[in-house]
Amino acid sequence: MSKKQKKLVLFATAMGLMLCITPVANAMHIMEGYLSPKYCIAWGAISLPFLIMGSIFMKNTIKENRRSITLFAMAGAFIFVISSLKIPSVTGSCSHMTGTGLGALLFGPAPVAVLGMIVLIFQAILLAHGGLTTLGANTFSMAIAGPFLSYGIYYVCKKCNLNRKVSIFLAACLGDLFTYCITSMQLALAYPSKDGGVMASAVKFLGVFAPTQLPLAIIEGIITVIIMIALETYAKPELKSIGFLKEVN
Amino acid sequence: MRKHPRGYSIDYYAYLSPLRMWNASFKVLLSVSILLICIIADNIYVSAAIILGMGYLTVRKGNVHFQDYLALLRVPLAFIILGSLPIGVSISKHATGDYFMNFHYFYFYVTSESILTAVRVIVKAFGAISGMYMLTLSTPVNDIIMVLCKSHVPKLITELMSMIYRYIFILMDVQYRIRNSAESRLGYRDFKTACFTFGNSMSSLLIISLKKAGMYYDAMEARCYEGEMHFLKEDKPVETRQILMGALFIIIIILIKLFTEMEEGIVV
Repeated sequence: MSKKQKKLVLFATAMGLMLCITPVANAMHIMEGYLSPKYCIAWGAISLPFLIMGSIFMKNTIKENRRSITLFAMAGAFIFVISSLKIPSVTGSCSHMTGTGLGALLFGPAPVAVLGMIVLIFQAILLAHGGLTTLGANTFSMAIAGPFLSYGIYYVCKKCNLNRKVSIFLAACLGDLFTYCITSMQLALAYPSKDGGVMASAVKFLGVFAPTQLPLAIIEGIITVIIMIALETYAKPELKSIGFLKEVN
Repeated sequence: MRKHPRGYSIDYYAYLSPLRMWNASFKVLLSVSILLICIIADNIYVSAAIILGMGYLTVRKGNVHFQDYLALLRVPLAFIILGSLPIGVSISKHATGDYFMNFHYFYFYVTSESILTAVRVIVKAFGAISGMYMLTLSTPVNDIIMVLCKSHVPKLITELMSMIYRYIFILMDVQYRIRNSAESRLGYRDFKTACFTFGNSMSSLLIISLKKAGMYYDAMEARCYEGEMHFLKEDKPVETRQILMGALFIIIIILIKLFTEMEEGIVV
């Protein structure tokens, strides 16, 4: 193949991949009825310690400063709004951010676990995304696994003195990807394939959701960086008041 | 689909529904028990009966336009298609299954059993979704929060829920205006600009929401907020007829489960 032909093939593949991005709205919430009762209960039980930890943290913060209750509520509403908005995408398909990565960076992962669960309840009730029986599983993937990983990555990057923008991008992007991997694992555990078991099934679920979720994770990373830059430019006092930006004057 | 200009259509219907006058605890109980029966039974006939029964209740009694109900059922369709594909289709290195597609390195194959499983899961999901829609299309969020309060969900959670529910609409309103003005200034004209506009508008939304949070606390304190919010409760008694109909429906679906499984047992 000549160089030109190679380029053509590459271009065609890229276009094909892009066109694969189907108009999917919040595909990563496990729908109502997809999990059998034992998985609903198990994922709920796994999420519970994190939720209790989060509520204890919030209670203590509120005890210290009563004003923080409205702040937490606003944070929850903000996560809901940002996750319900269509974000710009390459192909004109409709995709949504998780918003929990950004929340974890701004408010810390513990309160985001509780807020994320409330947001998921509202998404089920108001938008029919996700469900009530699958709340435990969705809480674990969206509000616990993703945010905790995001926060961890951001913390490690900060320790390594990595560029701030790069670390924010990595935190948001990988947090989103992790959410998607966990959801695929949850589905795979519930529906293991005949030959190959859970792992083969996980590969299938990952493959099916990859075309929507991979570009989405990158876009989420970019947008989170833009939001943080804008916040650091215009809202330093506010950022300090919620505990972010302790180290930057 | 009839859409409330700046809100969510499910919420809009919940306030309009004639079923709103039903007792909220009863609706939550009915909906949750039907949901649980649907996923525990895991039976295609039970799910079909639930789809029909709940659909009838929502569309006829709840005055939801049939077209709109179908449109709402389409919301989770994307997930259902993508989520059922891996259940129906398997990958193998050898040619197996009832139908297969050769990809040289590996085979995609389906068996009639796996297709049946996928169909079962899809019908079950729709059954569960219609059970949930019965609740959400007839019960405003405040009533649901009241029921949660009664069932001893921690106060922190219910209080945050009722605050977040209010703030969502305030933020959506602000966001709607920001988006309008950005769009009229060609802020979403291409992908790169759209990303920047979206990021910047979200950061201003966050700044606005942080400012409002302080203001709302002051407003609450001015109205004697002492760390606890009190709401007036609307008294909606349960009618015996509703309980009877609900119990009848649940008994019918349990009977359907028993009968169909007995028949399957005889066939096998």
